Amino acid sequence: MKLNTVIIGGGLAGLTAGIRLQKAGKSTAIISAGQNALHFFSGRFESVSESSADFIDFFAEAGVRLHYHEGVSLMPMGKLVPSSLSLEDVSIFPEGGLPRKALIVNFTGYHDFFSSFLAEGLEKEGCACRIRFIRIDEMERLRESPSEMRSVHIARIMDKAWEKVVQEVRVLLKDEDTVILPQVFGLKDSHTPSLIRERIPAKVVFAGTLPPSVPGIRTQLQLRRRYELLGGTFLMGDEAVSAETDGARVSSISTKNLQGHPLEAEHFILATGGFFSKGLSSNPQKVWEPLFGLDVEALADRNEWYDPDFLKEQPYMGFGVKTDASLRALKAGEIIDNLYVAGSILGATHPELGSGAGLALRSAFAVADLIAKL
Amino acid sequence: MKANEFDVIIIGGGITGAGTQRDCAKRGLRTLLIERSDIATGATGRNHGLLHSGARYAVNDAESAEECIRENMILRKIAAHCVEETEGLFITLPEDDLEYQKTFVERCKAAGINAEVIDPADARRLEPSVNPELIGAVKVPDGSVDPFRLCAANMLDAKLHGGQVLLYTEVTGFIKDGDTIKGVRTYNHQTHESGEYYAPVTVNACGIWGQRIAEMAGVKIGMFPAKGALLIFAHRVNNVVINRCRKPANADILVPGDTVCVIGTTSTRIPFEECDNVRVTPDEVDLLISEGAKLAPALNSTRILRAYAGVRPLVSADNDPSGRNISRGIVCLDHEERDGLKGFITITGGKLMTYRLMAEMATDAVCRKLGVDKKCETAVTPLPGSEKPSYKEVADQIWESPTTVQKASAGRMGTRAARIKDNDRYDQALICECEEVSVGEINSAIERMDVSTLTDLRRRTRVGMGTCQGELCACRAAGLLAKAHGCIQREREDLNDFLTERWKGNFPIGWGDTLRESEYTQWVYKHVLGV
Amino acid sequence: MTLQEYTSSIHNFEECMKCTVCTAYCPVVQVNPLYPGPKQAGPDGERLRLKDPYFFNKALKYCLNCKRCEVACPSGVHVADLIQAARIRYDHSAPKLRDRLLASTDFMGSLARPFAPIVNAVTGLGVTKKVLDATMKIDSHRTFPKYSASSFERWLKRRRKEQAAFPEQVAYFHGCYVNYNYPQLGKDLVKVLNALGVGVQLLEKEKCCGIAMIVNGMSKEATKHAVHNVAVLGKAVEKGLKVVTTSSTCTLTMREEYPALLGVDNSAVKDSLLLATRYIFERLEAGAQLKFRPDFHLKVAYHTPCHMEKLGWGVFSEKLLKMIPGVEFTLLDSACCGISGTYGFKKENYEASQAIGAALFEQIRAVNPDVVACDCETCKWQIEMSTGYSVKNPISILAEALA
Repeated sequence: MKLNTVIIGGGLAGLTAGIRLQKAGKSTAIISAGQNALHFFSGRFESVSESSADFIDFFAEAGVRLHYHEGVSLMPMGKLVPSSLSLEDVSIFPEGGLPRKALIVNFTGYHDFFSSFLAEGLEKEGCACRIRFIRIDEMERLRESPSEMRSVHIARIMDKAWEKVVQEVRVLLKDEDTVILPQVFGLKDSHTPSLIRERIPAKVVFAGTLPPSVPGIRTQLQLRRRYELLGGTFLMGDEAVSAETDGARVSSISTKNLQGHPLEAEHFILATGGFFSKGLSSNPQKVWEPLFGLDVEALADRNEWYDPDFLKEQPYMGFGVKTDASLRALKAGEIIDNLYVAGSILGATHPELGSGAGLALRSAFAVADLIAKL
Repeated sequence: MKANEFDVIIIGGGITGAGTQRDCAKRGLRTLLIERSDIATGATGRNHGLLHSGARYAVNDAESAEECIRENMILRKIAAHCVEETEGLFITLPEDDLEYQKTFVERCKAAGINAEVIDPADARRLEPSVNPELIGAVKVPDGSVDPFRLCAANMLDAKLHGGQVLLYTEVTGFIKDGDTIKGVRTYNHQTHESGEYYAPVTVNACGIWGQRIAEMAGVKIGMFPAKGALLIFAHRVNNVVINRCRKPANADILVPGDTVCVIGTTSTRIPFEECDNVRVTPDEVDLLISEGAKLAPALNSTRILRAYAGVRPLVSADNDPSGRNISRGIVCLDHEERDGLKGFITITGGKLMTYRLMAEMATDAVCRKLGVDKKCETAVTPLPGSEKPSYKEVADQIWESPTTVQKASAGRMGTRAARIKDNDRYDQALICECEEVSVGEINSAIERMDVSTLTDLRRRTRVGMGTCQGELCACRAAGLLAKAHGCIQREREDLNDFLTERWKGNFPIGWGDTLRESEYTQWVYKHVLGV
Repeated sequence: MTLQEYTSSIHNFEECMKCTVCTAYCPVVQVNPLYPGPKQAGPDGERLRLKDPYFFNKALKYCLNCKRCEVACPSGVHVADLIQAARIRYDHSAPKLRDRLLASTDFMGSLARPFAPIVNAVTGLGVTKKVLDATMKIDSHRTFPKYSASSFERWLKRRRKEQAAFPEQVAYFHGCYVNYNYPQLGKDLVKVLNALGVGVQLLEKEKCCGIAMIVNGMSKEATKHAVHNVAVLGKAVEKGLKVVTTSSTCTLTMREEYPALLGVDNSAVKDSLLLATRYIFERLEAGAQLKFRPDFHLKVAYHTPCHMEKLGWGVFSEKLLKMIPGVEFTLLDSACCGISGTYGFKKENYEASQAIGAALFEQIRAVNPDVVACDCETCKWQIEMSTGYSVKNPISILAEALA
């Protein structure tokens, strides 16, 4: 198969680059080795603090609603952290705008939503909290399986049963100005959370749950749909296994499923993520990039990869593939002309691009726009 | 008698202390056990979990070997729910001397250990993971034992017989009257309260830390701190214990226990001050992997879950720098006879395997001092949970057709699983998915087993001991603990401590899938949940 | 020795990061609370089973073997293989008569075909369905696939000479469905390949791929079929032939399940075994041409069968269909239709089966196509029964569109 650009990695960076290139009229394919880190997305683009109209418009075209406010948002364990650009599911409180009285509503027996921690976190900030548990009949069947009281499964039920939650909340609500609910609404689109906000006569805040993240999965679904509507080829569950190179250029990629049928392209984007996603590999001796054998910025002595304090910054999480200023990959010190790198496989090698979802967006925009101009 | 007066005070919540308390309590004594941290935090919880047949000691230490095989047979009966009857192999590799096997078998037989030479091909059939190049194999009645479960069961039985237990309580001094120990002064690290407790006899069962306690009482015991490092592999590579048939050396035992297997150990002398903070070094890790792979080659390509180290409570006898030739023998000191200090007994040396015998010896000494004439019954009375020989029977008896989580609970709790409240779906929900631990089992541990932290909970239920190392279950379990204890702030700190404690065992082997999992755990807790 | 240079485990189960993405995409979990979900049934359960087979959970039988967990897994764990392998290893209960019959597709086919009109009439009767429902626990809502009076093999054998005249040749693994139930698909394939200048040969007596046996507890029988098929495929490959298929499930079974679940080495034939859509796409990409009718108009909605999703070859069917002038193409959301071979035929699974497919059926009705395209025969039965829309293999659509 011949394409303009082959993108390796179907997470936020890969999909963003793919959509931008398809929009620019380029033919692309995305190789996605299974689902991706959007499934664990907090909804916050942590490092994006500048005004971000471009990002908001870009996502709006895919039906993903972002908003930008300066303020703090409520983390699932009750901490308040500075936030700016985020999914609309994540409420951002302006300075002095925290709730004063909140009703926290959880489902009985749902352990992935941390109501008591949320309450304690808010109470520290002077917000009085009341926690109530509700039961929805439709959910009872889910309980028969000891392992499946999960955000996603609840969300599927809630697509039909959300009105019951609204009714229960309306009965429970007294003089609270805010209602806090788990992020288990709107797996396919953000219609349900909007309706819930409309029907409850108080500010509604959706607080995160243990992954998988419902808004994250929805975002991935919407971006993928957008990409495919624009004509992109999304190879889900496939995996790049080797690359053909021709001098300083990559000529094709072979995948696990398409053996004997290499994907040829003018340009390639490597967006395979960090260690979790296998963008980087490690053994006791070294850290390496497994597909191309690119140069990696990493510490040699494994003793230095870690900080014994779990809560501190871990050096290994900053390891990443080396690139030139235009994010072209380096191998044995030489630039590979048509291989660009985006997303968290960059680690902390480009601090100006931020980290996490912010890094994914910025680097994907950068490489896609470069390729589109060529 | 006042509420703070007892017949005997036992210091140390390891297996020796717990066993001694059980024995004393069963002989009708009013007992108090004081532990500065949680149960099984010293050497008890930091070893292979090997149910020694004694074969390992047969050549060098006949006395220990005999003790081991006797206790081995006893534990199979009284601690059925803590023991797995796996069998064991002693293998000879091409680089080992096959002559040693002859001596080994002779000495085993002399010690009463049923050691049977088998054909290497049979050994490969019995345990397919064994190094296929082996040139000799001997089958022995090794097994595995869960030390946390064993310790908790002993303590529980003591409590069922009126015993009292103070965890997170440190002995800060002795109350003396001339040459007699009358009691102890304590400080509780959780409530920050001081206390005084009185008894005519105090037993020092603090393992390596016994040296410090003895000093505090004014007597001297020379302990020999020898660090032993071990690695836990993420699943069972072997189902039969594999030992090297040679003089005991580094990393020559691979023990399957519960859902994992453990390779160990190393032996390094360390200064006494380091006992509280032992670390596994990269060199030790590398040694354990390379030596372990000689027992079972698959270890070199099997995911590693954790590295940990314990300190052997050996009593110093000579100047051997390795500490290996020191006898694992039991040392029971009546300090009245030895040092002229009345009301004080030290029980030390020994090993997990012989804890019951040590407890019996210490209790006999206590009874002599108190003039109590009661027989020891711990060799014949099953521990609570072990009344039925197999957890499978237990599960079938409690539940009509047990689910996986119920089977797992029965495996951990034995007959005590009947007390889990799991009559509704809410209680059957899983908290720990890797080890299959339900809300009901966790709540029942919190209610009955002195749980104050997540790490305590882990020792009693295996929460967070599986592949994900707490990635999914730690925050869920924290929710249950917060509810039980009613203090969120404390639970936040506890959760951080737990994650750091898990990480402490992960980073020394932080590569490959373990590093991937750690990255994910970092992501979940810091960026998604926000701890 | 390089320490821990790499690690490995049975079906990669130790690469599981416990992220739970697999259960989010499992169609069974959504409708059947008795199923523990792919994470519990697969990698989590494996650790316990390695400790003691006692921990094997019979509820693993609810797994559809749709492989969607594997497609979704970001870590490359062969979740479905783990589950099916555990069933093979630990579930020693003998399969029920019903399961044996459902699984023996070629046996049933060869028995029924000569009496096709009678069998079709009888299995179509309400009273027969009720009897099957009551005695065999085959759900009475199901319509049995009709048997064809004349087999595809017979049809193609009669055209042996004519096919041999083509300058290029492929062998065709037609599978039970084309042979006994729907020879038209085979005929359509012959038409398309002939138009490309390629003649079609039969294999030297193929057998059922065996997937229904694998999932119905008959792995021994399945292994016999696998060994036989690898041998006959091998003969074709030795002659330098590619072997094409028209069923995504047969293809996946022979390429992936033979080595992974049955331990049958297929390395000599794997790369030569292709779905016809891929084969045709590659011919066209290499410069071959097809002539299409100028007046062809068809609104097509493409459903990616689960096993096609796993194969990763849906892209070829999609691109071929889009290539046909006059085709208005919609890609349906990737979702299981619920039938999964014999699964949906069992009375105990009927409700779950329909609930799984509900979202797909809804989307098909919303798109309202002239025809649903899909490369799997059991999806075809399910979608046709549940929506009333006609379902065709992309090859048949291609054949119709040819000038």
